[in-house]
Amino acid sequence: MTPPNPAPATGTAAPARTTVSVTGLTVRHRRTVALDALDLTLGPGVHGLLGPNGAGKTSLIRVLATVAAPSRGRVELLGRDAGAHRERSEIRRRLGYLPQEFGYYPGFTVREFVAYVAWLKEMPAELAPAAVERAVERVGLADRIDAGMKTLSGGMVRRAGIAQAIVNEPELILLDEPTAGLDPEQRVEFRALLREVGATATVVVSTHLVEDVAAACSEVTLIESGRVAFRGTTGELTALGEVSHAADGSANAIEHGYTAALRGHRAAASAVTDSSPKDTP
Amino acid sequence: MTAPWHVTEALATRYARGAAPEPDAWSLERHVETCTACASRVSAAVAATPAGPALAHVRSALLAAVRPEEVSPEAVRHQAVSPQPVRPHVVSPQAEPVPVPVPVPVGAVPAGAVAARRRRPTGTPGPRLARMVWAAGPALRGAWLVAVLVVVAAAVGLAHGAGFQGVRPVLLAVAPVLPLGGVAVSYGRHADPMYEIGVATPSGGLRLLLTRAAAVLGVCVPLLTAAGALLPPVTGVPGAAAWLLPGLALTLATLVLGSFVGCRAAAATLTGGWLLAVAGPVLGRPGATGELARYLSGPAAQGGWAAAVVLCGCLLALRRRSFDRLETS
Repeated sequence: MTPPNPAPATGTAAPARTTVSVTGLTVRHRRTVALDALDLTLGPGVHGLLGPNGAGKTSLIRVLATVAAPSRGRVELLGRDAGAHRERSEIRRRLGYLPQEFGYYPGFTVREFVAYVAWLKEMPAELAPAAVERAVERVGLADRIDAGMKTLSGGMVRRAGIAQAIVNEPELILLDEPTAGLDPEQRVEFRALLREVGATATVVVSTHLVEDVAAACSEVTLIESGRVAFRGTTGELTALGEVSHAADGSANAIEHGYTAALRGHRAAASAVTDSSPKDTP
Repeated sequence: MTAPWHVTEALATRYARGAAPEPDAWSLERHVETCTACASRVSAAVAATPAGPALAHVRSALLAAVRPEEVSPEAVRHQAVSPQPVRPHVVSPQAEPVPVPVPVPVGAVPAGAVAARRRRPTGTPGPRLARMVWAAGPALRGAWLVAVLVVVAAAVGLAHGAGFQGVRPVLLAVAPVLPLGGVAVSYGRHADPMYEIGVATPSGGLRLLLTRAAAVLGVCVPLLTAAGALLPPVTGVPGAAAWLLPGLALTLATLVLGSFVGCRAAAATLTGGWLLAVAGPVLGRPGATGELARYLSGPAAQGGWAAAVVLCGCLLALRRRSFDRLETS
């Protein structure tokens, strides 16, 4: 409702605040290294987290959501140390998180599902009911608010998941593959919602759909094998694609940018480590 | 917080008329506490409504009470547009010092919604009960509750319907581990479908687990004790309440062990251990039911269980952080 015009909003947002600051973040799952000494700083806006499957996107999102502990490194969220017990609660109050896979109690309606999360997030009881309705309305489920979660389609369940993530008007929103299961029209609506939310909050969207990033994200971070392969604006990634694929269909430019950045990173990585030179295209 | 969001003229007008949607109104009210420009915009909008003169009157009365000097209507008019949020019934710390609480006619507030909303009863029993059931989570909604009810019904039914005398020791021997099943299905990645969402919230972790464990005990304790009391007494078998301390100790032990291996594995381990070490031998051999007294009755046994409760409680306090962020692998 009354979406503030994003352009002036970002313009007035004085020297870009840093809301997410990650240094030397390493995450190991048993023997495999999911994230390898990753450094990343993010401010308000919509940030796309791109990368091939298994690159470490979910590992990063789960650390940023204070769900998983890093093996090493420092994570600062909303100006607080995520490693400190007390500060973590404060962070969590201002956090929204949509896991890649999530469940719900079978008897819940959409309203109960979102209200339950509002309660978990310690929203004041008198504010919660209206906030729940607003969140559900923003994801376009207002007409199904009292329908059972069990009766919803996959896309609707995901939208309910997005509603629970934004119910507390969070300052940091972490969405892991939010567009999975949405049909094209819903995807377009969702991107509009992303832009609206990203006017004030820091939104991190992990996706493997390059077009999600092109449409909704102001900045892109490309992750490959637990390292940052590319960091820049959506325009810069597109430009990268235009250089490597001169005069190709412009709709695909960003995809080319994606592959170009990935390839460049792999080449650099194999040059640094003494891996075989066969890796080049 | 330097929010780049600001109150538009349109929103200010709607708010002044009391026509702004509630969430927008809240955002606005929170925002004007820190944003001078928006506060004066909203003040101006409110002053422009029919209730503007009434507000100005209240304000001049207020100022007259605070400052003895004469306040001209012109000054009042100007003050009404001054950078201060219009919150007639709440004197916030940032507001000018007002030593005398002046009664304010709330009816004069145009956005009567403000007052009405704030006055809504917040602790009504309905929502509170609902929240407690939510907090209790999956255990009380699922198969575990059914299982406990079946055990209780079967025990009472067998004893009174079939006249089977051995029910009481069986119930007493099994009761201490019944809450463990409830704890197992209450918390953790395997048991709670909303676990991943829950752990990213401030209420997740130990607090949620303890709430749920308490709910489990809250169901078990009265049900099982009452069932035990309803059963015909058997000589040499401890009283109906004898299982309480062992039950509590085992539940806390589950939480402590669960902080290392997860609640499900912890509950399975302890239940298995109890059934093998105590319940099995006692119930397996005919005539050995009296041995149950060795574990459950008498000051020595109960004192031992009480000590175990205290010990497990302390260990749990030491391990409280581990539930906050369990995954470190």
